[in-house]
Parts: sequence; structure tokens; C-alpha cells
Amino acid sequence: MIDVKNLKKSFGSHLVLNGIDQHIHPGEKVVVIGPSGSGKSTFLRCLNLLETPTSGSITFEGQEITAPKADIDAIRRQMGMVFQHFNLFPNMTIRRNITLAPVRTRLMSQAEADDTATALLKRVNLEEKADAYPAQLSGGQKQRIAIVRALAMKPKLMLFDEPTSALDPEMVGEVLAVMKELAEEGMTMVVVTHEMGFAREVGTRVLFMDEGRILEENEPRAFFASPKQPRTIDFLSKVL
Amino acid sequence: MDLAYYYELWRGMMLSKDPMLEGWQVFFVRFYQAFLENDRWLQYLKGAGTTLYVTAMALCIGVALGVLVAVIRTAHDQQRPGNRNFVLGVINLVCKVYVTIIRGTPMMVQILIMGMVIFSSSRNYTLVGALTLGINSGAYVAEIIRGGLMSLDPGQMEAGRSLGLNYFDTMRFIVVPQAFKAILPSLGNEFIVLLKDTSMISVIGGQELIKAARDVINRTYDAMFPLLGSAFVYLVLVLIFSYLQGILERRLRQSDRR
Amino acid sequence: MKLMKKLGALLLALTMAVALAACSDTGSNPSQPGGGEGEPSKSVESAEPNQGGEPAAFTTIEEGKLLMCTNAAFPPYEMTDDSGNVIGIDPEIAQAIADKLGLELVIDDIDFDAALISVQENRHDVILAGLTYREDRDLVMDFTDSYATGYQVIIVNEGDDRIAGTNDDLELIDKDGNKLEDIQIGVQRGTTGETFCQGAHGVDHVTSLDNGSVAVQALINGQVDCVVIDKGPAEEYVKNNPGLTILEAEYVIEDYCAAVDEGNTALLNAINGALNELIADGTVQKIMDRYISAG
Repeated sequence: MIDVKNLKKSFGSHLVLNGIDQHIHPGEKVVVIGPSGSGKSTFLRCLNLLETPTSGSITFEGQEITAPKADIDAIRRQMGMVFQHFNLFPNMTIRRNITLAPVRTRLMSQAEADDTATALLKRVNLEEKADAYPAQLSGGQKQRIAIVRALAMKPKLMLFDEPTSALDPEMVGEVLAVMKELAEEGMTMVVVTHEMGFAREVGTRVLFMDEGRILEENEPRAFFASPKQPRTIDFLSKVL
Repeated sequence: MDLAYYYELWRGMMLSKDPMLEGWQVFFVRFYQAFLENDRWLQYLKGAGTTLYVTAMALCIGVALGVLVAVIRTAHDQQRPGNRNFVLGVINLVCKVYVTIIRGTPMMVQILIMGMVIFSSSRNYTLVGALTLGINSGAYVAEIIRGGLMSLDPGQMEAGRSLGLNYFDTMRFIVVPQAFKAILPSLGNEFIVLLKDTSMISVIGGQELIKAARDVINRTYDAMFPLLGSAFVYLVLVLIFSYLQGILERRLRQSDRR
Repeated sequence: MKLMKKLGALLLALTMAVALAACSDTGSNPSQPGGGEGEPSKSVESAEPNQGGEPAAFTTIEEGKLLMCTNAAFPPYEMTDDSGNVIGIDPEIAQAIADKLGLELVIDDIDFDAALISVQENRHDVILAGLTYREDRDLVMDFTDSYATGYQVIIVNEGDDRIAGTNDDLELIDKDGNKLEDIQIGVQRGTTGETFCQGAHGVDHVTSLDNGSVAVQALINGQVDCVVIDKGPAEEYVKNNPGLTILEAEYVIEDYCAAVDEGNTALLNAINGALNELIADGTVQKIMDRYISAG
């Protein structure tokens, strides 16, 4: 589904991604872990070109999205993104947050989008918040709305950038539950997170990144049971 | 009560230096000749009309210019490093020079230059004045808008783009409405300054409120009431403006409620 | 890039709007409703009707119109009435000239110093503003024959006996004939009075104000000790402001002339022709009498 070849990214003279090669298959739930500054968020943001790679190529469903003439807006419509800080639009109601993009990109009519929004909100038990504004919601509710907003575009792939890091501990569970449900439905997911439990339970593959490289990857059970790289062992010993 | 009768009577007493004349009667005569004699208040009203007309014209020019310059400068500054567009760089430089010159020179000098050098053969003083004010205001509005756009969390733009919305839709539905709310107080302030600055176009022949007041001064040889009167009119206009701004701000704050 | 195209188009539209504004503003003038529509400055030849035989072809900025500028705070030569019209000796003489030339008169009331520049910039055809003939002005404008004379006088507050008059150097003197050093003189900006006083007393002792009326206000308020201004308006001011009085001084007699842009000889000749006829048939004198004696 996504093919990443020798991806490099530098900010000024600082090399953040130092040659990433990765293939993500449909239906996979890839969990990216690593110390802060390891480049895992940048890697994720490169996948939908929120960061422009310095070199290397990314291909999505046979289309090279790093090509200069690629229609980046069309590609992004097929990839949902969930941010650490939710990034809901505070000037709109929840319903409009969800329906704006599908309607503006002519994916749906307003009526269709409204129906989709209602159905999605029901799924995350927030249908009564449709006409509320983001400021009236708790962090966990905001993040569930953000996930729903991305889903309204009917994406083929969901990218999660530390979706629970900005939440109060008691709200982490409700967000992870939604993500888990999504995983069970077969959504392809790339998740940057510090939630090792989620990685172990939901992930089909775990990537460990450090200093702009993928140091180690494995299916979760083996990854957590028998890490091979000393750096991985060191990291896991600190977070588990 | 026939005010005109007392006006004539007491004016005659003033001219003949009648010792019976009381201070308040002098006050009345001066007031009457500044506003009521020959329906002079209509002249202030006409001048105030021109003032509002010039403000409105300048506002349109200023906002159009300001938005254009702000969008160009923000688009330039938000380009990804190493991916800079040369043409945008040149236009950005033009915008920067424009803002620097306008903000670096006094309004009065700009009006005189426009009226006596650039449009020296134009007799449409009011329009030249409105154009000058608009160009001047555009520079300030541009900086206000740019500040609003830059202060907004970049995550908002990223969220919009990540949903597949294009740059203009993201600006239109997400960035600009939020930025607008944030800058409304400074924008209102700028518009009030603009309204008051229209008084300066009288130096190049603009026929606005202050010109009307000065014409009355030239006929009555009494400056106090015409000047106080025009100050009052400006104050009322500004208060109306502030009131409308307050309503708009309250409506925009809707989404802040908890 | 799409973005760039849109920005470019916007910029272009804006430029055009500005250019349009620039082009159209030779059009209507707010102070003169109904005057000043039409195409900007097409050169038009109108035959001068009264100069027998001589084919004096002149052009005006706007076809069929004589655009005049003045500063209407110089009574009785020019002032505004309560309808905002410019009235006075100069407008009436100009009207008579325009009638003779078959032109429609349009008057703009602007600052005096701006009016001096205006004819050079071809914003107006002619200036009539109680304008005194002076050599330095003749360098940039062409003067008509004189239609009136005036001279500068000194207005002071009644009972103020510090100033007695002027000496041959145009310095203000006290009654012993000594030059007054510690004095502040109010004048109208751009006038001959300003030039005389600045020459005699230096710029620090001269306060230049927008017009004569403001200068007189300053005198009444005590901001200046005296006002040096043309005799005509001085008499108007004193008549309307009890407590002021006029001192005669040794200033030269000045010729009031109209003026056109330097080198516009055809228009100058046409105006001169009309003006001299008006002087000869007594029209100018009649106008003067109406304003100066009837006042």
C-alpha cells in the first residue's frame, strides 16, 4: 500500500530522517515507537507530505506522491490524520468540523455528509454533541471527534500522531477503545505512540526508531519478548 | 420660541457693546451663528457625509490591499525551506517596500505628495484623499492581518490540509475566520484611526467635515463652536462604529462559550 | 502554480483599479455639482470672439470650461457663502471673463499655496486669488494685466500702541522709529505679506497661517501681535471683529492679476483681451464697488 524508499529529511543542517525503507501492506496496524527526537513523528508526517522529504520516494497505491506533479490534495483525501493536539476547528460546530471536508471536496452532498456525521458520532457515543463547539468538549471527546472527522473522508489509511499524549490519563482509555474498534474493522493504521499496551494488543508490527533510522522491527509478541538491538532493550527497559 | 429673533436682538446688542448683555446670551449668539444661522448645520452634515464616504472608500481599498499584501507575505513566509518560489519572493519584496514606505512616512506627507505631486492635475480632491487613505490603511491592515494569520496555531492549517482541503479552502473556512476574530479589535482600532484621519484630506482640498467647519469659521470669525461641533460629530461617529464592532465581536465569540 | 496565477490576477486588477481612479478623477468635482463631467482635457480650439481679426486660438484643460482655483478665505475678493459657493470680486470677474470667452466657469476652493502650484500642474486654467504680481511668481506663471490694486496693511488690537508702522526697510517700528525686535507677526502662508515680514524680521518672528481668517483669530487670541495682510480683506476682518484696527504702512502698491500656466500665451491673451474690455466698459469697477463700498 505504501512503499517508502531511502527517505531522508533534514531541517536545515539537522538530519531527522536518515534513510528509511519501509513497506506497509493493506490491513496492517504498524506501531512506531522510539525516544523523543528519534524522527517517528516526522516519518509519519512525511507519509502525507505535511513534511516534504528532502530526498527519497514515497509511493501510495502505485502513485509516487513525492513526485512534483502529484495531486497532493487528492492523495491526502485517502489518508486520515489524527494529531496529538486534536486540531479541531474551534470556529465550527462538531457537525461542521466533520462535514466540511467531505462536502468541499465534493465527496458527498451536505445531506450525505450530515448522515455520515450522525452515524459516526453515534459510533463514538457523541451524537448529542453535534451542535456543540470544540471548546465545550473534554480532551478525550475532542480526540474521538478528531478521529471521526478523519473517518468521514472514508480514508484507506489512518495516521495517528501520538493521539493520547495530550490527554489526561483517565481519558486515554476511551480514545484507545475507538482506535481498537477501528483496527478490528480492518483499517490500515500507522500509529506513533508511547502506549506499549496498545502496541502489543492491537499492532501487527512494531517499528523501533532511533536517530532517524528504523533500528528494529518485528511482530509485537516477539518484539517485546526478545528485542535484539541493545538500544531497543535499553528503551524498553525504561518504558515498560 | 423664535430663536432667530433673539439671535438678531442679542447680536445687535453685542455689536453695540450693550452692557446689559449677559454671558449666556453671547454664548447663544455664537452657538446660533455657528450652527443655526442659514441652516449651517446642514453644511456640517454634508461634510460628515463626505467624511463617511471617504472612510468607506478608504476602508474598501485598505482592506483589499491589506488582505492581498498579508496573504502574499504569509504565503511567502510559510513556504517550506529550500522550496522557495522566486516570483513570490519578488512580489513579497514589493509588498515589504510598500509597507515600509507607508509606515515610515507621516500621513500628512503622503496626502500632500498624492495631492500635489502624483495627482497634481486631478481636481477630484476627495477621491485622491480616499485613495491616499486607503493606500495608507492597507499597509497597517496588512500587518494586522499578517499578525493574525501568523499567530494562529499551524496545526489548524495542517488539519485542514490533511483532510484533503486545498490551500484556499483551508484559508477561507478555517484560518481566515479564526484570524479575523483574533484581529477584530486591532482592525476596529485601525478603522477608527482611518475615520479620524479623513480630516487631513482637507489640506488638499477635500470637502469634508473639517473643511465645512473652517468655512463657517471664515464667515463668522469664531472658531470655538464650529470646531467643538465637528469634534462632537467625529466622536458620535466613532461611538457608533465602536458599538457596531462590539456587536460583531460578541457574535464571533459564540464558539467560545462553554 | 495555481496560487501564483490567482495572486497575479488580483494584483493586476488592483493596479487597473488604481489606474482607473487616476484617469477618471479629472471628472466630476464634489464642490461643484453638475460641473466637470466629461473627457479629460481634449485640446479644443475656440475662436476668441472679440479680438477683431486676430485668430487667437487657445485651449483649456476641459473643453468648454474655464477651471479657476482660488482660496476662498480672502474677503471681499473671495469667500464662501452658506451654500458653499465661492463668491466675491474675483469669482465675478472670472465669470465675466468666462462669459466673454464663451466658457463655463468652474471654481475650486483650495489652499492658497496649493492654488499657486495648481495652474503650473495644469490642474486649473487660471488662478484668481487676489494674486499679487511678483517676479519670482512670473517665473512659473504668466500674469494677466492688473485688474485691481492693493497693498499690505497691519491689523492690530485696538489700544495696542506698540506698533506705529513700518520704515523703508519694511521693518515694523515703534513710535520712536526703532525696529521692534520682540514681535510675532501673523501672515497668510504664501502671500507677499509673508515674504515682506520674513525678509524684515526673520522666519522666527513670522507665524504663517492657512488663511487670513485664521491669522486674525490668532491676533484676537493674542498668539500674534499683529497681522500683515492685504488691505481689502483687512477691512473686512476689522469690520466683522470689533476691537481690531488697521495701521497704514509703507508697503508698495501691488497689482492684483490673474495668472495662467507659464507659456500658455494663447489663453493669457484671450483672458487679457476679455479683461481689458471689462475694465474699459466699467464692469470691473462696478463689481469692486459692489463689494467694497456696500460690504
